[in-house]
Amino acid sequence: MAEDLTEGLGEPLAAPGPSRANRPDAGGRGISSPAARSVGEIEAQLGYLWAEDAAGRARVAQLQADLARARAQAATRAAAIAAAEPAASDERHVAARSSVLNLIVVAGRPETAERCAAVIAATAGHQPSRSLILSAEDPDGPAGLEARVHARFQPAPSGPAQTVAETVRILARGETGRHLASIIVPLLVHDLRVALWWPDDPQLTSHRAERLLPLADQLIVDGMSWSGDGLGRLLALAQVAAPGRLLVTDFALLRQARWREALASVYDLPDLRPHLRGVRSITIEFAAGASEPVSSTNLVRPVYHVAWLASRLGMSVVSPLGRARAGTRTATLRQRDHAVKVELRPVDSGLGPGSTVRIQVASSRRGSELEGIVSAGDDTVEVEVLEMGRQRIRRVFPAPRLNEVDLLERAIEDGPSDLLAAGTLAMAARIIGPELPAA
Amino acid sequence: MRPPVRAPAPRPARTAKQLRESVAASRPRSRLDSDANPLRKGLRLEQVPDPCAFVLFGATGDLAHRKVVPALYHLWRTNLLPAEFSLVAVARRPYAEADFVAELRASLEKYSRSQPIDEAAWAELSRRITYHRLDFDDDSGFDGLGQRLDELDAERGTAGNRLFYLATQPSQVTEIVRQLGRVGLDHEMRGAGWRRLVVEKPFGRDYDSARALNHEVAKVFRESQVYRIDHYLGKETVRNLMVFRFGNGIFEPVWNRSYVDHVQITVAESIGVEARGAFYEETGASRDILQNHLLQLMTLVAMEPPSSFKADALRDQKLQVLQAIAPPDANGVRNHIVRGQYGPGWVGGESVRGYRQEPEVDPASETETFVAGRFQIDDWRWSGVPFYLRAGKRLPKRASEISIQFRDVPLRLFRDAAGDLAPNVLAMRIQPDEGIMLRFAAKVPGLGLDVRTVHMDFAYDTSFAVDSPDAYETLILDALLGDASLFTRADEVEAAWSIVTPIINAWAEMAPPRFPDYAGGTWGPEAADTLLEREGRRWRRI
Repeated sequence: MAEDLTEGLGEPLAAPGPSRANRPDAGGRGISSPAARSVGEIEAQLGYLWAEDAAGRARVAQLQADLARARAQAATRAAAIAAAEPAASDERHVAARSSVLNLIVVAGRPETAERCAAVIAATAGHQPSRSLILSAEDPDGPAGLEARVHARFQPAPSGPAQTVAETVRILARGETGRHLASIIVPLLVHDLRVALWWPDDPQLTSHRAERLLPLADQLIVDGMSWSGDGLGRLLALAQVAAPGRLLVTDFALLRQARWREALASVYDLPDLRPHLRGVRSITIEFAAGASEPVSSTNLVRPVYHVAWLASRLGMSVVSPLGRARAGTRTATLRQRDHAVKVELRPVDSGLGPGSTVRIQVASSRRGSELEGIVSAGDDTVEVEVLEMGRQRIRRVFPAPRLNEVDLLERAIEDGPSDLLAAGTLAMAARIIGPELPAA
Repeated sequence: MRPPVRAPAPRPARTAKQLRESVAASRPRSRLDSDANPLRKGLRLEQVPDPCAFVLFGATGDLAHRKVVPALYHLWRTNLLPAEFSLVAVARRPYAEADFVAELRASLEKYSRSQPIDEAAWAELSRRITYHRLDFDDDSGFDGLGQRLDELDAERGTAGNRLFYLATQPSQVTEIVRQLGRVGLDHEMRGAGWRRLVVEKPFGRDYDSARALNHEVAKVFRESQVYRIDHYLGKETVRNLMVFRFGNGIFEPVWNRSYVDHVQITVAESIGVEARGAFYEETGASRDILQNHLLQLMTLVAMEPPSSFKADALRDQKLQVLQAIAPPDANGVRNHIVRGQYGPGWVGGESVRGYRQEPEVDPASETETFVAGRFQIDDWRWSGVPFYLRAGKRLPKRASEISIQFRDVPLRLFRDAAGDLAPNVLAMRIQPDEGIMLRFAAKVPGLGLDVRTVHMDFAYDTSFAVDSPDAYETLILDALLGDASLFTRADEVEAAWSIVTPIINAWAEMAPPRFPDYAGGTWGPEAADTLLEREGRRWRRI
């Protein structure tokens, strides 16, 4: 039925790369509007799309009624009456807005806008949002904007329900590009949460951030994509986070969920749990870049691992992260009455620069030495536990890497209730130390 | 058979066993212990099950292969089971362990909800499977089982924690429980592991047998160790019903006799009895659906808000609802309960045979394949509000739904603007397309004043990206974690039987029904429609 309705209505955006298996996103239909050149025109087109949605539902309902009637003719008279009854109904389905949030994307470059639009399209069935994808060009040219509205209608796998996700691609030129907030505010759906997705290198201390961040309830970034070692920007991220006002979600931290689950599993055993009170060292091995100096390798992920452990285990920072030999960074933490040695160590690896290769947590408790070691591949995470140097546990967890579509969905779903991010981010800032200039 | 009586009110602990139970119940459960893993905070599961042995009785049976083992496999591959886990498969048939594991693997191909099978995960899980043959009445077999479990504690670190899952014929439950008690496998000692018993429905076939079964189980296991599975309670929408009611502030104020006209609960199946003719001949719709699924759904709709989501707080409230339903007398059964049996018909454009033509079914069978009833909850909230329940096989479609029909407006201002304006309905669809629908009136846009009824639909699968777990996964994980809130307590079971048993008894006294009385593919016998029509109502179109 969906195919019949898509005739002449334009092509939906293509999703980037592989996404989660069994995702019921295939199908659905999209409508694209002609270019709009003002906020008023964009609003008018959004209104038109909802009217089109209601008409589409009516068509779906009619098709279903026809189908039910046709099926009923083949059955007994009694079955025919029962099956055809819905067709005789005078009731209507309203186009219930099922949006879950306003999503603003600050896409610096057109190719970033393109990529984000494709990611959003892939999440449309599950996270129907009004998405405003902003990009700016030619800052010294004449002021103006160009926008295109696209709606994606996603039928439920069964039943007549469908969701509608609207995407507005806005390209601002000249002076207009410096006033993006003035474009955004009239286009937000009332009373819906606002998430600001700032991919690539967000300028968190810029004039633009000053205007945009107050509009948002949630800031979504990807620390893995930041240039340089990323630590200055991580510090800035910790500074803009305001629990209760602005939640921060970092894809880099979400990606590490499989590492956290694996490491936590070591201490699920009641007899090993006391070792969490006796951690002596945390060593993170990360992939050094083959073609770049180690000093400019992105360290956000290794720092997050340490920050998470430190925040969960009640540690404090004695001496923040400093440089040691061969690109290694070290820090000293304190847990209760003992020191915890932290080492971020670059190693040769086929993985991308800054990727975690191995985590090792060493602890001692009443004469017993324990090492929890976690390493990961593309689809699995391996846990090994050594007790007094002898292997006690070895387990391989199936845990595939998440792609950007998965990450955005998790950010939307879990962001508001993410208990872990705020504590980890605050601890990361303490571990990095105060001397770095915020990005 | 003596007439069913109300479940007795809880009495002060008197015997040593009751005292022990009372003390154990007041002890904080392990999930609340302060020594919880701090690294779990904020993760997907804040607690994972303790190391344990999962002892599956009836491991070669249909339920084990279709539901239990696929659920365990899913829990394993999503890392929700501990590394120190052992599946001890217990059955009567002689099997080489490798052959048995190969059969489980073949069943996963058929019944696992995710394909293809994750070979690495299966390899890890299958290493933890051991087969133990025994006859359920053979003492030495159970002695051997006890020894084997002790060995597994040493070999695999299962720490003395044991969950006994009875996926067996109901008639075997009592003997297995007795044997477990005889060899001391029920004993819980502080620091030496927990022992839990999971029992599948049916819990008896009437009030007396349910009481007898509970009595036999209680001779060995404390009630807090017993987990009675009604898989319906593990379904996402059923669980969400509680969230919907108690997590939203706007519904509770209108959730009572002042605003609700009546409630309808439907559990409709389009399939017949399939290959379960012999089983169904012994049960019928009343025992198979009404006594458990329908009454459980009714309790969740009607119960008062519990003080917490702890198991007993929740189950106390559900019990109160059941206790407030007056069991119908013979006259009540005649007037308010309808039974039916399907004949040949058409479902989904296909010709289907009648119940009496099904395999293993008596050609003159009087077993009901449809039941509908009007029930009344005599409490302050619901007094005067009828609850209409119906369930049946070979109905036009598979659909389960709870609908709350609200009272009409006090004054019809728009009488001229609408032909027949329908009252508001809030419908919660449980399957197949889980969601919530609100029906209300709206003005048709235009110069005139034309009013129409419209539906506002919310579908779960378009709003949540997460795949819903199978009900068995939810329930098995809860049992391993020691959370009994989605399991049925003994007094609940008995209270439900005290409502259904008089119906079954009254039917036995009545003249034989004129079956079949509805064609396959229709919504049951005419009498089911009459049940509502004589009160000016009708079943919702689903």
